[in-house]
Amino acid sequence: METFRVKFKQAIPNRVLIADDDPVMRHLVTTTVKQQDCEVVVVNVGREAYRILQSDSQFRAAILDMTMPFLEGLDLIRYMRSEKRLMRIPIMMITAEQDIKLMASSFSAGATAFLPKPFTPEQLQSAIRMLIGNRKWTKRAA
Amino acid sequence: MSFDQVNSGPRETGALHLIPAVRIPSDALDVEVLNAFEELQSDDGSDLIIELIDLYLQDAPPQILAIGKASGSAEWAQLKRAAHNLKGSSSTLGVRHVAEICEKLEAANCLDPSDGVEALIQLLEYKFAKARQALAAERQRRLV
Repeated sequence: METFRVKFKQAIPNRVLIADDDPVMRHLVTTTVKQQDCEVVVVNVGREAYRILQSDSQFRAAILDMTMPFLEGLDLIRYMRSEKRLMRIPIMMITAEQDIKLMASSFSAGATAFLPKPFTPEQLQSAIRMLIGNRKWTKRAA
Repeated sequence: MSFDQVNSGPRETGALHLIPAVRIPSDALDVEVLNAFEELQSDDGSDLIIELIDLYLQDAPPQILAIGKASGSAEWAQLKRAAHNLKGSSSTLGVRHVAEICEKLEAANCLDPSDGVEALIQLLEYKFAKARQALAAERQRRLV
């Protein structure tokens, strides 16, 4: 008797990890991600994001602030890119740094996208849509 | 009572109702930058701009205090970190002068007294007070 092996494609998780110590930025990013019908897991320090990532890899994307207490965004990227179960997760860095070298460092560490502050709502929406691969249009673009 | 006194006073004084519903021009706040975030507004009846103003006004004073405290104890790395944090949200919400001063503080040579760090901190406090008035006025205008 012939046997068939069916391999199911793993569903893409619908959760986005957001780590930022600035409450204004957290609220803006959270609001925009939710508009893309994604759930959010929000933390305000890098160390907490690290703790979550140690046991949970079911994220569609991660949005990290570059400068956070205890553990910075760049350290988190390096950790995520060194763990097989986290490697596939696209990462966007948000920073108020104007230094082009930091952008280069982020990409070389494994960031997928880079959003410098200040940003406009359109820039934030575009970056998040690109990051999570969601083509859903926003109210204004519809 | 001047307009500034009305806007800087605590809400419980009941004085905020004196704020006119029209937009007051202020160079402390670029209202167009702030209100551009209206397009991220959700349909749940909340006002994102008011939420952002409230979060900013809660978060900024401790950052300014941290800058002053770090300067007093010569903890320059902490001073620059607090200035950096405040710069990000200030520039994004259109609080221009505060963002500009924070950028100068980040770039300042703190070991050189002639670089004017103390003067910048005083200016930051003054400009933030102005920005707070403008943000409170914008918040009130949106409630009307």
